[in-house]
Amino acid sequence: MIPTKLRDSGDTGRFLRPIVMTTYNECVAQIQQILRTTVAKGEVVGEDMDLIDELGLASLDVMELIEQLEDVFDISFPINELGDVRTISDLARRVQLLTDR
Amino acid sequence: MSLLEKLEAAQRSQDVLQALGVNAIGATIDVAGSATEGDIAGNRVVLAGTNNYLGLTFDPVCVEAAVRAVRSHGTGTTGSRLANGTYACHAALETELADFLEARSAIVFTTGYVANVGVISTLAGPGDVIVLDADSHASIYEGAKLSGAEVYRFRHNDPDDLDKRLRRLGERASRTLVIVEGLYSMLGDVSPLKQICEVKDRYGAYLLLDDAHSFGTMGATGRGLAQAEGVEDQVDFVTGTFSKSLGSVGGYCASRKHDINPLRAQIRAYMFTASSTPSVIASTRAALHLIGRRPELRTRLWGNAKRVHSALAGLGFTLGADASPVIATIMDSPQQAADAWQMLLDAGVYVNLVVPPGAPKNMSILRCSLSAAHTPDQISQIINAYAVVAEHLMGRPKAVAGGSL
Ligand SMILES: Cc1ncc(COP(=O)(O)O)c(C=O)c1O
Repeated sequence: MIPTKLRDSGDTGRFLRPIVMTTYNECVAQIQQILRTTVAKGEVVGEDMDLIDELGLASLDVMELIEQLEDVFDISFPINELGDVRTISDLARRVQLLTDR
Repeated sequence: MSLLEKLEAAQRSQDVLQALGVNAIGATIDVAGSATEGDIAGNRVVLAGTNNYLGLTFDPVCVEAAVRAVRSHGTGTTGSRLANGTYACHAALETELADFLEARSAIVFTTGYVANVGVISTLAGPGDVIVLDADSHASIYEGAKLSGAEVYRFRHNDPDDLDKRLRRLGERASRTLVIVEGLYSMLGDVSPLKQICEVKDRYGAYLLLDDAHSFGTMGATGRGLAQAEGVEDQVDFVTGTFSKSLGSVGGYCASRKHDINPLRAQIRAYMFTASSTPSVIASTRAALHLIGRRPELRTRLWGNAKRVHSALAGLGFTLGADASPVIATIMDSPQQAADAWQMLLDAGVYVNLVVPPGAPKNMSILRCSLSAAHTPDQISQIINAYAVVAEHLMGRPKAVAGGSL
């Protein structure tokens, strides 16, 4: 097993980022950080919170959140799976799997 | 959510629109004997919210062709293309379309929506990948969903983001169908097709171009955006509609690179829905014939577009894109857009009101679409109506824009 995969992040100006398998917790933290600046206005949102029903995101906001995560983790999120994402935790688990590919 | 709760939720979102105080969605239009005039709620208005880019809906040649066809071939085919619904006229239109586009083959569908859903869902399947422009038409999303392929969006008109997506796919990029439109119908912006082609070629992906709004309006002979950009040989599949520049109803798919005929026996939306009525096919054929032979239609269309675009820019409106047959003014709020829409209507000009969630990026826009059939006087009327909005609603100078009356 090679512990570290070197991947080109694709963004000019960024380093080749050593990816040591992003953990679930890192994904949650990243989502929380993005949401802190948008919906939560500084507060930390719980990982079991529903993005739409509890955090009040519109579906366009969810798409934007996902686009940011795609850039950060250098992944593409299939829109077929959007329907399965309700909570921050759902999203983090899915993102974690995608970074692992 | 139960079945009927969904209905109630839908009613609530309609109520939101109605609260804006206008009856903009699904307004009933009585077209008044021309491509550019109609009656809405009893008032005669200039129609500047259609897709009648070349103004051919009342062209005497097209009308006559339809009348002759309905007399000789009847009112409908009562069958699907694969059963009893392919008449000589359907086959002739396919040949003429392929000739016009210099394509290997073309298939005619009952609508453009059906063409997209049918072609996309059949070309791609489980195990394949679709990467589509985020602002794609509903029929593209629908076809992608139905295909069973893995579906990704890339940022609207952003070849670099497409590049990233294809890179991330690795070897699967060669099993990927990229989908973009030509002229985008809401903001009037145009896809950077040359760069898109370059990116998809680099990864060995395939490209489908939905040329719905650029067919007839762009390119030296009206063959669309790929012709205008000189990349027709790089586009794998083109889909389009007869319901805009060709002034009727129907859709097509064509390809220069591949023989798509085998798809006929695969596409359910081709096999299991009735074919177009002969009169529709007849007027479409007549219109197609005219597109190639009347370049002045495109000249007039673009002249009108440029005149309105520069006037609206001069009035201080925020515009969606460079001059094109669709000119979107971006308003501050749904309410301001609705008030402006009503004001334009009162001034005798009908445009489209597009508010969230129907608009890209949650914008509230007024969509003005031009036609080759608009006369110089009608263009003046359109501009004058916008001037009323600029003065009353947005305030002048633009710095004090915002809020409603
Ligand atoms: C980009 C695009 N594709 C497809 C369609 C569907 O065309 P049709 O009206 O023929 O169903 C439209 C029109 O609504 C469109 O704007």
